[in-house]
Amino acid sequence: MNNFVIEKRYFNYAKSLIGVSAVTIFAIISFAPLFFAIERLQMVTGVSVISAMSTFADRPANLDSLTFTLVEASISAIATVLIGLPIAWHLARSEWKHVRLVRALLAVPFVTPAIVAAMGFLALISEGGILWSIGIDLRLETGFIGTISDTFGWQHPGHFIALILAHAWFNLSLVIRFVEPPLATFDPRWEEQLSLLPGGNSRINRLRNLWIPFIGPAVFCAAAMTFLFSFTSFALVKWLTPFSETMESSMANMGGAAGIMGYRVDASLVILSTSAIQFLILMLTLILITVLQRRNNSRVSMISENVARHNRGKLSKVGIGTIVFGIIFTLAPMISIFIASFRIRSSIGNGQFTERYSFDAWVAAWQGDLSYVSASEALANSLTYAIVTLLISLPLGWILSSTIHSLEKSNNMKLAKFVDVMSMLPLAISAVMVGLGILLGILRYNSSLFGFFLLPVLPHVMLTTPFVVRIMTPAMRAIDPVFEQQAKLLNLNPFRIWWHSRLSFLRGPAIVAASLTLAFSLGEFGASWILVRTGSWDTLSILVDQLMSRPKFDPMVQPVAMATASMLMILTFILFVIAERFRPKGDGGGI
Amino acid sequence: MKIPIIFVLLMLLSSVSGCILNDEMMETAHSPNSGSCEGAPIGHNDDGKLRIITYDINAISDEMINQFTNQSGYQVEIIRTEDAGGILEQMLQTKNAQQADLMIGLDNSYLQSAIDNCLLQYQHTNVENVSDGALSHYDGDFAVPFDQGYVCINYDENFVDGENVTIPTSLWNFTEQQWNGKVTFPSPITSSPGRSFMISTIDYFENDEDNSTDAFDWWRDMKNNGAIFTSGWTESYETHYTGGYGEWTEGHIGDAAMTISYCHSPGVEAYYSSNWTHSTSLMLPKTSFHQVEYAGIINGAANVIAANQFIEYLLSTEINTQMPEANLMYSVLNDTDLPETAGYRYHSDIPTQPCAITNDRISQEMDLWLSKWIVEVEY
Repeated sequence: MNNFVIEKRYFNYAKSLIGVSAVTIFAIISFAPLFFAIERLQMVTGVSVISAMSTFADRPANLDSLTFTLVEASISAIATVLIGLPIAWHLARSEWKHVRLVRALLAVPFVTPAIVAAMGFLALISEGGILWSIGIDLRLETGFIGTISDTFGWQHPGHFIALILAHAWFNLSLVIRFVEPPLATFDPRWEEQLSLLPGGNSRINRLRNLWIPFIGPAVFCAAAMTFLFSFTSFALVKWLTPFSETMESSMANMGGAAGIMGYRVDASLVILSTSAIQFLILMLTLILITVLQRRNNSRVSMISENVARHNRGKLSKVGIGTIVFGIIFTLAPMISIFIASFRIRSSIGNGQFTERYSFDAWVAAWQGDLSYVSASEALANSLTYAIVTLLISLPLGWILSSTIHSLEKSNNMKLAKFVDVMSMLPLAISAVMVGLGILLGILRYNSSLFGFFLLPVLPHVMLTTPFVVRIMTPAMRAIDPVFEQQAKLLNLNPFRIWWHSRLSFLRGPAIVAASLTLAFSLGEFGASWILVRTGSWDTLSILVDQLMSRPKFDPMVQPVAMATASMLMILTFILFVIAERFRPKGDGGGI
Repeated sequence: MKIPIIFVLLMLLSSVSGCILNDEMMETAHSPNSGSCEGAPIGHNDDGKLRIITYDINAISDEMINQFTNQSGYQVEIIRTEDAGGILEQMLQTKNAQQADLMIGLDNSYLQSAIDNCLLQYQHTNVENVSDGALSHYDGDFAVPFDQGYVCINYDENFVDGENVTIPTSLWNFTEQQWNGKVTFPSPITSSPGRSFMISTIDYFENDEDNSTDAFDWWRDMKNNGAIFTSGWTESYETHYTGGYGEWTEGHIGDAAMTISYCHSPGVEAYYSSNWTHSTSLMLPKTSFHQVEYAGIINGAANVIAANQFIEYLLSTEINTQMPEANLMYSVLNDTDLPETAGYRYHSDIPTQPCAITNDRISQEMDLWLSKWIVEVEY
């Protein structure tokens, strides 16, 4: 045997070992906390998880939260498609000068921290906000919103609409990311040819025979993902719908009291039953997404986007109007936060107040005048957690993707699917469930870990690794095997073959994955809200919530919270712009 | 179809995994001590730092901590919970390996539970300067008061104008049509002021003339009259209440003219609004609760000396007299009051007949009261 064969064999052994280790580590960090948490809750409540699920309906508040969650998530999915589809259509079917910039702008909400989005929508809908100024009062529910409430007996329609809009805002880019690529790579001449045939001679026929089969799976895939994210929404629900709870917010509110023997057993029972039912629903949604994504992937990349774009017609007024609406819709909450961070209320006596605009809140936030940690310290914490998360998530996700791809290449499709699905499973465990899992499953057995500074990294890794896998796996699949064969012909060693035939092609997707990991970690709220107890560890998103939750007799408190949210927003935006610079043109895979 | 298999495996595994967990790993709440508490295991090393567990309390500012560090040489680390209930829960969770040395913020509706569960240890703080009123609920050696205030009903004077809506003279008035949907309560399950007020209603209805109804009948009627229940004080006062500063904040709804806050909240409103407020407190006998917040050294603390020093610092005249401005609560020291500045004191009522339920009774019956409350309000 020559050296090359020996090297290759060792390289393959090492690769397999690393792959198995990564899968094992990921499985352990993802499921062990949940497993121990369920066990603990069973011990505290004295009932099994199955029995707990059967008691779920006994508590009316549980049914209310389930109903509300299902309704808001379903309507959010529909609304997101209704808003996103025309934008994706016009973005794909017209020749735009700065299409990448527009696309990047429309995608910013998806990586915007949920707490920032919540603050943005609060500022947008509150008295004096942009929507309120044009007569749409979603907060106090006066005017026609009040009329809707009175006419239909619908309690708090304004709050519900605000939540749906916020979810649509948040998930808009999913529709664009999924639907635009197939539309953009679709050669318009095909439609022209079809219109000459009986099956395509009318708009309805073309819709039925062309567009629905062509982009239907992508639309449903985006809708299913929107349902998933809306179902587990926490910060937006907490701030926008004060009269309603989702299963996620219900668990977050009761989580602190759960898992203690002999104390608030009712809370443990609620957490046990709610988390199990939520997990089942999310799991079914994930199965649906997996099936739809597989169908969708087989339809994209029919033709190069660059080739297709050259066949686009001129911009229509409707197209321009739609895209401008999309951009305004995207920017409005962010601008609202920014403005609110400069606006400070001042009393001028006798119940009269005036508003002045200054940088005072930014200075106070940076210095930490109103909080235990300053925004600068919270920023340092956020960045530390994000970087450590990146250092773990990116290699872990890369290895998982590589393992999936290798298994697929060796025709071990069943095992490949198993690892693929397992890597997605943390998405079925919401952020709050992840936080509670670690709290109940690990910390209550080993309290000393409460003092471990890097503790919040664990949920961040669990929540960001699936995104890395989702970005890297399609990218690996897309690499032409010819490059590897050519590298082998040059008699390079396995490492150099890997370097030249894989790494050089995966640099772009890896930077996208890295930037998104950093952005998601920076904005992560649910799990951190449950786990971050030590004041000096506060992250920016926790600091925003903490400031907003404290009494605001002092008029500086709210502007300081908004200034902190603005800092987080700017940081996330910068990261996202970096990610977009490296995203391949016409990329529809991943997020 | 791999996901259902994983889920089923997870469920099956969790149901047979009792063998790997044993009772020693499970801390237990509500095991009232038989008079003496053994020293609990220390959950962290004494690295010279003082670790304080508290809720997001205004009193402990960065400036104050820096001053303590400069005076004593001890670094301070804050372990934060959502509220007073969170402090108790966190201490129960970490009972076998306490992470903090000092607890600041448990009030008299939670304190006895902490003592019963052996979560605190003896301390010997000089309380000579502390007023009898502040020591009236608890004057033992497990905790010392550091601030106080009265939880009571606040209402909007613009709504209760004395003509269209009269000032309530009984809690039953709030169950009438004119108050339909106009009252908001922080939940006693998750909010400390909410819990304090619920205790007051027990006392109120035990001492009213009608023996056929109790507090929980009233809570049921309040729910049926459209009362708004929120998880915390902030949501009630800021989002729903029309009489407070909430109207100037993002997200204000303003659909309730009555809420639960402190009797001196109108004073705080005036203090920050150039001696102006349209919020006031309702002085009905037995409907207010004298809330005293305590500091205590945790059983299992690694740095007892530093904890003692911090308590003395907290009770020093220099720091404690700042409570009205720093923490929006009364000082516990003798001969102190709210400042007269900008109507702070003028708009702050002091109830003459607050709730008189003892800490012991609160500790013994709280679970029962909360269960009854849940049945009436949530079902």
